[in-house]
Amino acid sequence: MKGLFIISGLGILAMLAEIFKFKKILYPLVLLGIIAAYGCNFMEWNNNMSVPMFGKMIHFDNVALAFSGVILATAFFWFILANDYFEHDHITDHFALVLFALVGALMLTSFSNMTTLFLGIEILSIPMYVLAASRKRDLASNEAGFKYLIMGSFASGFLLFGIALIYGATGTFDLMAIRSYISQANGSIPVFFYAGILMMLVAMCFKVSAAPFHFWAPDVYEGSPTVITALMSTIVKTAAFAAFMHLFLVVFGKAGESWSMVLAVIVALSLVVSNITAASQNSVKRMLAYSSISHAAFMLMAILANNRGFASVNAILYYSLAYSIGSISAFTVVYNVSKEDGNSNIEAFNGLGKRNPFVAGCMVIAMLSLAGIPVTAGFFAKYFIFTLMIGTGFKWLIILAILTSAVGVYYYFKVIIAMYFKPVREGQKMVLETSHVILLAITTLLTLALGIVPKYIIEIFG
Amino acid sequence: MLGLTITQWLFGILSFLAIMFALMVVFTRNPVNSVLYLVLTFFCIAGHYLLLNAQFLAVVHIVVYAGAIMVLFLFIIMLMNLNADTEPRKHIVTRLIAGVIGGMLLIVMVGALKGAEQLTIVRAGASQIGLVKNLGQVLFHEFLFPFEVASILLLAALVGAIMIGKRDTNTNDKKVINN
Repeated sequence: MKGLFIISGLGILAMLAEIFKFKKILYPLVLLGIIAAYGCNFMEWNNNMSVPMFGKMIHFDNVALAFSGVILATAFFWFILANDYFEHDHITDHFALVLFALVGALMLTSFSNMTTLFLGIEILSIPMYVLAASRKRDLASNEAGFKYLIMGSFASGFLLFGIALIYGATGTFDLMAIRSYISQANGSIPVFFYAGILMMLVAMCFKVSAAPFHFWAPDVYEGSPTVITALMSTIVKTAAFAAFMHLFLVVFGKAGESWSMVLAVIVALSLVVSNITAASQNSVKRMLAYSSISHAAFMLMAILANNRGFASVNAILYYSLAYSIGSISAFTVVYNVSKEDGNSNIEAFNGLGKRNPFVAGCMVIAMLSLAGIPVTAGFFAKYFIFTLMIGTGFKWLIILAILTSAVGVYYYFKVIIAMYFKPVREGQKMVLETSHVILLAITTLLTLALGIVPKYIIEIFG
Repeated sequence: MLGLTITQWLFGILSFLAIMFALMVVFTRNPVNSVLYLVLTFFCIAGHYLLLNAQFLAVVHIVVYAGAIMVLFLFIIMLMNLNADTEPRKHIVTRLIAGVIGGMLLIVMVGALKGAEQLTIVRAGASQIGLVKNLGQVLFHEFLFPFEVASILLLAALVGAIMIGKRDTNTNDKKVINN
């Protein structure tokens, strides 16, 4: 709760920095602010004050706090990764936009009303559209921003229409009231209520870039500046999944028979399309974009297992944490490689194992985690999802997921092979900033630690 | 007259006009005419709001949509000098496919609506809710938090628009272009 206010205040402070000329100390101030928000978040944990606030608009219960914690921690890492992104003009605008996006992300973890859901999604999306287009001279960046804006607005239209239909059936925006409406009105629910649920499903699938609605993702991920791509695939994804989970596990969970088959088809499509397309990509950034679609499919599988209560929440929390940390690690390497080479093609990684063994080692751990190889966090993330799915009617998805994961191993290993077994083109060493070295060390250790002792996160609820 | 009240007559006429103008928006080839038809559609919808006793919404709809946004649209269309000639003609195959897909969607919609039972109004609703005073009370009591949070949304949009629109003054833009 206080975290939300602190981040909002930081965003406004960032804009004041331009007027009162304290741009120089803004970066440490923002880092301190995020630590403070994280601290407040931590203090509110298990503090049984968790009632819906402000006329039942927002509710920071333990689930919301856990996801907020993941988002704030990732945000801290992200700001360390992005330190030289803020070294050119208009830094205050960039800070303000990123912080406002963070406000939207925190709202998406904690909304308890349709209005706050919509506002959260828009507050998260609008700064992202602008940030995607923030390299104004770069045509690809402009295209990314424009495409993201058009597709995102389209999805918001679906979301609003869905909300309107659900309001028409239930007469309320309050999520708990809608939930009790579903459980009480057995059999007498009008058809357009289900139409509303499906429209919201479409909109949320747009936002998490699941398969038939994923067409924007590769272009946007590739065209945006690398640090912004990192922001999209970690914080935006975690927030969108927190919202997706809250809507479909908690609120519409009782009406599961109306949407679970649709979602199962979406998951199957996402798994097949993303993994097969990713295998033929030459740009690592674009490959990571497709891999993020495949990870979205895995997290959607946990939502499909809607009869397991808190086990699904735990699995999604663990997965988003493992994926966020792995992605931050991978994008730090991609950022540094592309800064040197000017592009993020797979050839740019050739011989990285000789040019800088530390960076290459961190990239290996990140790739192994994303591919789901044991001992890393990614393995357990996928393992917990599979154990969830065994109890549902969609066991065929497990087989499909394992098969497509095997394809995934191929394209993640393409990077590893390039780093160690391809000849070095130019023999120079690769030098990293100290902050990036520390960041890589921390994220790599966290990936391993999460893999060795997963039980602290996976048993967090219930 | 045919057993209908004046409100029902008005509803029918306004609905007919709204749908006709909306169709004209799609079917006219000249973008400027298209925008003008859209303005007329908005006026018809504003009329619907008035019938529902939502004066505030009706006025806002005319001022914001028909007034501000459509004028912006017109400006942009005139600046880009679009007219009927510049619009590319679609290939016959494309049209055929679009027609088939659109027709299928229509069949699905009609089928779904036919299957839907008679819509029942869940809550009759206060007929005075659309008046400015009541709207303000709802906005500043029940929906105070969303109202305040919307300011962050507007602020973010404002900052974003300025950032996109502002001229770059720095010289090291080339250096960072590919990152």
